[in-house]
Amino acid sequence: MSGRSPRYSAWSLLRGRFSGPGFWRPLWSGRQLQKAYDVVVVGAGGHGLATAYHLARDHGIQRIAVLEKRLVGYGNVGRNTTIVRSNYLLPENHYFYEDALRRWETLSRDLNYNVMYSPRGVLDLALSDGEMVSLARRGNAMRLAGIDAELMDRAGVMKFARELVPAGTRRFDIVGGLLQQRGGTVRHDAVAWGYARAASALGVDIIEDCEVTGLVTTGGVVTGVETSQGSVAAGRVVFAVAGHTGAIGTMLGVPLPVETHLLQAMVTEPIKPLINSVLIYVHPHGEVYILQSDRGGVVMGGFLDGFPSYTREGRWSRLEDVVQSAVALLPQIAGLRILRHWAGTNDMTMDGSFIIDRIRYDNVFLNGGWCYGGFKSIPASGAACAQFVATGTAPDLIRAHTLSRFASGHLLDERGGGPFPVRL
Amino acid sequence: MNAVMMRLTCPFCGARELNEFQFHKTAPEPGANPFASVYERVNRTEISQEYWQHVQGCRAWLYVSRNPSTGEVYQVSLLGTQP
Repeated sequence: MSGRSPRYSAWSLLRGRFSGPGFWRPLWSGRQLQKAYDVVVVGAGGHGLATAYHLARDHGIQRIAVLEKRLVGYGNVGRNTTIVRSNYLLPENHYFYEDALRRWETLSRDLNYNVMYSPRGVLDLALSDGEMVSLARRGNAMRLAGIDAELMDRAGVMKFARELVPAGTRRFDIVGGLLQQRGGTVRHDAVAWGYARAASALGVDIIEDCEVTGLVTTGGVVTGVETSQGSVAAGRVVFAVAGHTGAIGTMLGVPLPVETHLLQAMVTEPIKPLINSVLIYVHPHGEVYILQSDRGGVVMGGFLDGFPSYTREGRWSRLEDVVQSAVALLPQIAGLRILRHWAGTNDMTMDGSFIIDRIRYDNVFLNGGWCYGGFKSIPASGAACAQFVATGTAPDLIRAHTLSRFASGHLLDERGGGPFPVRL
Repeated sequence: MNAVMMRLTCPFCGARELNEFQFHKTAPEPGANPFASVYERVNRTEISQEYWQHVQGCRAWLYVSRNPSTGEVYQVSLLGTQP
């Protein structure tokens, strides 16, 4: 409790430069766990922190705690490949992700923290005429919703992405692509820190090393949570635990349509600017999405590992697939060394779309099942989830993303692949 | 220290690289209704019972019992003969 982080501006940063180390305060205050809260949010990742921030800012809820088993940003908010985009086919998804993308555009200002939104463009590459038809369909669906999408032929792709070497050298050559120019990247750790700082400034208690082990119920009503630091009374409970969503279902006795898979990512040594946008390259034997970080490292990821795991240690064969795909796309990076390689735990639903809904109890909410879309959805998820928790009514943007849609048949199956997270 | 799961032991072919096998889904709870067995999954962090297939080997369907938090494999048996 040694003073809160000052408001940043060009002037304050300049002053801070000359006023010594005392200017820099911890971004969020080390508060003690209290006995009772209006809302307890489980999980201090992007979704949990954003939900707490919006509950405090937009809905005036005073007593909010975010309980975190490990550290702020230890989970997927610090493990993704930083890509943001809203190029989804289904209206229920593209309106929601577009809401997120609009919020990304102004988030640095809203949080008073630079999250380094970089609209460098996300380019999906097509390798066949059939894929071009599929991309055109998706692009048209987006444009009808007022979202930017640009279908490019081969010449257009080669002009836009100069790093792609000419034809004849690539096993699966490029026919065209679908560009979303407003898509791009956001500095992922800054998102966790920025939300934690902003929520803390609004009075939210962020408690690390505090694992939630169960719910406290009185007469069939949830009145609090059991934690590793003792029990805490709570008016409402929100679970935003990413890869452990399925385990939360098991804890609550509600089997969920969720499987936890590892998704790997890696970064190479820094090089001079080479890749100007985010390239997504799916070919018959694998997939890679690839970009260059602001520091110069080439960041890439690919498919899921393909079986349930909480280890955060990826399988080696997938690492090989991703690297092979990356080198197939950009042969000039073949000699680079990989500096770091990691995995996150993705809660994959049976239709590929997320779930924000009540779970079992009227005052217990689940924010999960984010599949591949967890990071890019954070600002929209926080706002919508907070509105749901504060008012008791789901906003239109997430009205379709119920838990009951699987039983009622109203699936949001973006991929059209049936009840399996991984293509078999 | 966690162990990365790298091999499975097929009852017919012996220990083979994980790449040869394909995960299908977790085994439904006994007596699960049709909806549950299609859409719901059993998510336990300490023990997971799963259907796999040795797709790039003998193509046998397997019942695998393992720990998804450590990668340790407890047992692999032919589907239908599991304990």
